[in-house]
Amino acid sequence: MAQPQITVENLSKTYRVPVRSGGLGAALKSLARRTYSDVQAVREISFAIAAGEMVGFIGPNGAGKTTTLKMLSGLLHPTAGEARVAGFRPWQREADFLRQISMVLGNKSQMLWDIPPLDTFRVLSEIYSIPQQTFQRTLDELVALLEMEGLLTKPVRNLSLGERMKCELVAGLLHQPRVLFLDEPTLGLDVSMQARLRQFVAAYNRTHGATVILTSHYMADVVTLCPRVILIHHGRLLYDGALDALAGRLAPYKLVRVTLSSASGTPSPEVNLPEGVDLLEQDNGSLSLRVSRAAAPALTAYLLNTYPVTDLSVENPPIEAVIDRVYTGEAL
Amino acid sequence: MIPRGAIALVKGTWASWMQYRGFFFVLAFGWMVPPLIYLLVWSTAAGEGAPVGFSRGEFVAYYLALIVVNQFTYPQTNWTVGDWIRGGMLNTPLLRPLAYIWQVLADEVAGKVVFMAFVVPVSAVLALVLRPELRLTPRAGLLFLPALALAWGLRFLWGLWLAMLAFWATRADALLAVQDALTFLLAGVVAPVALLPEAVRWLAGVLPFRYMVGFPVEVLTGQLDGAALLQGFAIQSAWLALAYVLCRVVWRSGLRRYTAVGG
Repeated sequence: MAQPQITVENLSKTYRVPVRSGGLGAALKSLARRTYSDVQAVREISFAIAAGEMVGFIGPNGAGKTTTLKMLSGLLHPTAGEARVAGFRPWQREADFLRQISMVLGNKSQMLWDIPPLDTFRVLSEIYSIPQQTFQRTLDELVALLEMEGLLTKPVRNLSLGERMKCELVAGLLHQPRVLFLDEPTLGLDVSMQARLRQFVAAYNRTHGATVILTSHYMADVVTLCPRVILIHHGRLLYDGALDALAGRLAPYKLVRVTLSSASGTPSPEVNLPEGVDLLEQDNGSLSLRVSRAAAPALTAYLLNTYPVTDLSVENPPIEAVIDRVYTGEAL
Repeated sequence: MIPRGAIALVKGTWASWMQYRGFFFVLAFGWMVPPLIYLLVWSTAAGEGAPVGFSRGEFVAYYLALIVVNQFTYPQTNWTVGDWIRGGMLNTPLLRPLAYIWQVLADEVAGKVVFMAFVVPVSAVLALVLRPELRLTPRAGLLFLPALALAWGLRFLWGLWLAMLAFWATRADALLAVQDALTFLLAGVVAPVALLPEAVRWLAGVLPFRYMVGFPVEVLTGQLDGAALLQGFAIQSAWLALAYVLCRVVWRSGLRRYTAVGG
């Protein structure tokens, strides 16, 4: 691995939250004495990310993804552990650190609402002390990549959600950060807008060599952009590695789809399945089967030798199904 | 030195607020109403010969100056700071390489420009109609400017540390309402401080509120002699220094708390 841009060692975050039961009595009691409980949002996670890498943070709601991102961007102090981002301890929030990072939140806006985006971009260029020529060049590049020439002079509040998200990305990237945190950047966007933003992030990563950490509940974002994923659940790091291997690790089975030929008018042949094969779906001559990875080759051989097969495919289960097994507690 | 980013923020915020200047003009008008009412009450009383210490024209001058000073020193951003803290909007400025205070100051300056664009012409028209009596000396005019600047600084920082208590208590802005009430009573709005009952006058003299509004007006209208001026500036500066220290302490520990529990 090249020199790591981000290193995280045993990072933990425990929130202390006030608790009280419902009702007036409890409300009055909590005035006198508050009781607290500790919520361990992130527990001793460690990883390293090289410069230029794109990594997907996945995990169910409340897994600790955003808390981790907030610690890495300097918005939160960790309870324990250490982290370095671009050579800085994030939570010291040095100006030189803040100039090298950017965090784009799908559900928060940094645009000035009542004036055109171009005005917000100009303010940002001053805040980040971007020289005029660099600003213009970067802006032109970003605007071309996102195809948003017509938006620059309309007030932000008149823009659609997708158009605003484009503006957020430009606002986050004008200072050409070396490290980019994207928290649910495609939230609420339609499919083609999602696809366009993905292309954009990939292009930015390629041309600027930026390190990107992405969280998203749309697996398509992660599948398209991130060769590597970090899976967090209940604040713990469960998996760190290639996305392809995650499926093998978490869902140790394959899907076999087979289509049998049948003369028109005759009923499709009765299929006897070997032990350990689940029939998921049958539609005339087409069958969907689930089989353990190890038994998949034997099953395909058996099907080809025994039946008049016209089509056969062996697939990994869809990533959504794999992730769902983690989220619902079936895997791991 | 003022960072470039802060100047750009002023321009951006100002452009943004000019989009609904009508709203801000209505707000400014609302803030003008209490002093305007007391202007009419006192000037009418004095005009009818009540022994109140000021002549009718002197009351008009006092209150017209107070309307402008009150507006100039009113820290409208104190209210929004609490909203930023409660709403988690503080994340945006915290991610930028420019201290949050510049964002607040930018809003403050942008707001001043919009509000003064309303209040100064309106007060000028009122002056034409109500005929104030003001014997402005060069010394009073010269001393008025630092008194006004210090008054703004004090009122801004005093409200700011109260607003930042939102780090701990979600509805800390109730304290701002208390501050507004005390300003109304003790800063020379309900009546010039010189006309307050003795015990209240003493209280007004030692608490910070008079130095946020009434003091610069008293300086301008020539009510204070040398010793009173000196004492006034000393007390005003002392409160300003304390407000500054409180702001720093509250911001530091508040930020530590914010970054510990998240926003």
